[in-house]
Amino acid sequence: MNANRRGKYRNTISVGIAFLFLLQVTAAYTGAYDLGTTVADMTQAASASGGTSCPQLTRFDVSTPGNINRLWSTLLNTGPITILTADQDPDGQLDEIEAVIEQSLSVWTGVSGTLLQPSALGALQRGDTTTVCDSTDGLNTICFGQNDPGFTLGVLAFTVVVSADTIGEQLPSGGAPSTFVGEILDADTLFLPSNPNTTFATPAALPSNPNSYDLESILTHELGHSFGFNHSGVWGAMMFPFAPAPGQFTGSRPTAQSPDAPLSDDDRTGLRVLYPGPTDSAHIGAISGSVLPANPLALPISPAGVTGIFPAQVVALDNATGKVTAAVMAGWSCGDPGPAQFDGTFSLQHLLVGTSRSYQIYAEPLDGPVVLGNVIYNLTSLCRNSATDPGWPAQYACTVPPSAAPFSSRIRAGP
Amino acid sequence: MRIRKRLILSLLPALLFLPAVRATTLARLSLDQLAAGSDAVARVRCAGGESHWENGSIWTVTTFDVVETIKGSLPRQIAVRLPGGRVGHLTAAVDGTPKFYPGAEAVVFLERSRAGGFTVAGWVEGTFRISRDTRTGNETVTQDSSAFAVFDAATRTFRAEGIRRMPIEEFRARVAAAVARSGEKTR
Repeated sequence: MNANRRGKYRNTISVGIAFLFLLQVTAAYTGAYDLGTTVADMTQAASASGGTSCPQLTRFDVSTPGNINRLWSTLLNTGPITILTADQDPDGQLDEIEAVIEQSLSVWTGVSGTLLQPSALGALQRGDTTTVCDSTDGLNTICFGQNDPGFTLGVLAFTVVVSADTIGEQLPSGGAPSTFVGEILDADTLFLPSNPNTTFATPAALPSNPNSYDLESILTHELGHSFGFNHSGVWGAMMFPFAPAPGQFTGSRPTAQSPDAPLSDDDRTGLRVLYPGPTDSAHIGAISGSVLPANPLALPISPAGVTGIFPAQVVALDNATGKVTAAVMAGWSCGDPGPAQFDGTFSLQHLLVGTSRSYQIYAEPLDGPVVLGNVIYNLTSLCRNSATDPGWPAQYACTVPPSAAPFSSRIRAGP
Repeated sequence: MRIRKRLILSLLPALLFLPAVRATTLARLSLDQLAAGSDAVARVRCAGGESHWENGSIWTVTTFDVVETIKGSLPRQIAVRLPGGRVGHLTAAVDGTPKFYPGAEAVVFLERSRAGGFTVAGWVEGTFRISRDTRTGNETVTQDSSAFAVFDAATRTFRAEGIRRMPIEEFRARVAAAVARSGEKTR
């Protein structure tokens, strides 16, 4: 299907996609999901819940310049050494690592058409306590030497993102209360510090340490999580869940002219959805539609009310570049006051428009044998109910349905 | 159904081996590496879980009934600790950790946690969900880290990776072989 995007203003093209109930062995158990979401606690007053059970994006408050504080721990493990730098002078080593952190942050703040600009970030501070990556302190911290018990076999790095499901919520240690549902109050990234066989090299040190992981690539990906991204199912995206092999890096190195060079268009579009720029006049296109089964009997019987395929990965390919512009995990919609409806809806937003701009849409229904909620969605990211929250109001309750049976897809034009 | 079986069988050689699975936070792990790096491997059934604050972080402790031990020695019930969870109005999200819900069954590769109990080795890489066909009763196994369908713009196709829908007997045999190769005792 081609959807020509014309005009300066947002247009929405409805697309109907029907799936034949045939086996397609390449049909995959899709798990990509671009952005984190939070369902408000509807047992609270509307002043705290916002009055809607629709899933809200999980993101930082960027309404105030410098609101996203930044800290990194200069405590580096020495036995073994896991962070490799070209500069061996202790001060030079710290400067080199700090430059990588700044560069990785610049990748995300270098995207046009978003509110996540450099001014949204506070000055990068240094810390030197052993437990600085603490989720209670409200500091967004990067740690290279904190041997957290969360590390296990194969875990190289991880990011813990703490968000609130009510307005006015504070972290245990205090700090500014949340101003909206889904606001990120703390985001810490930890790198594995204790495995002598696992090292991370700065771009300057990587050529001489080809068995090391590229520090910049992994950090940029982890910072994507800290800004509210989940994983993307697009090959080559920064938020693709699989890291580059040791000695390699994701995408292109950032430059002064192209600070966001390592990102894919999928990453950029996701960031524009998370932190939309009010003055962005270029990325105002949208394509929406629904993913429906040719045979409604293929839909799950329980929970009741499922009318479309959930979930399905829907991808927009830019015909001009041949690249993926956006990919979303779709299959639900929500109108205030909620809850989410599993009707097969998808919406690809913040697409570049222009007189010659056109996109092709690809969709892949989930055919996995297990409940998607077991794997991807946190228990309360789309739905909450009396099972997850005793006393939950019935009118705001929903249950994430199981994945559908195997499908193959056939796309037809919508009305 | 026959066509479906043939197609699946034709893909089995590719599915039987762990592909280059390397989640961003995870190193590439083969079944042999998982088996060698684990203190225990077991088929478990989730009995419940709870999240709490501990040393500045939110942790979720899930209790499992041990259905079958494939490697190591385990009591009838074990506790598995993973970072992340929800406490009160705060949610700590850690991408790459498996989520378990009461009644769900899985084969998990377990590593003793420094903080007590066990953790899942390799997180989503060491978690293999069990699904039962309601008509035939046949059980299959799907690895959590195979959850991602990859869209390749060059070929304009989606493709799957990892262990997916493998018959549990086949999977059990592969794990047992991997455990044997790791030089550990099984029971």
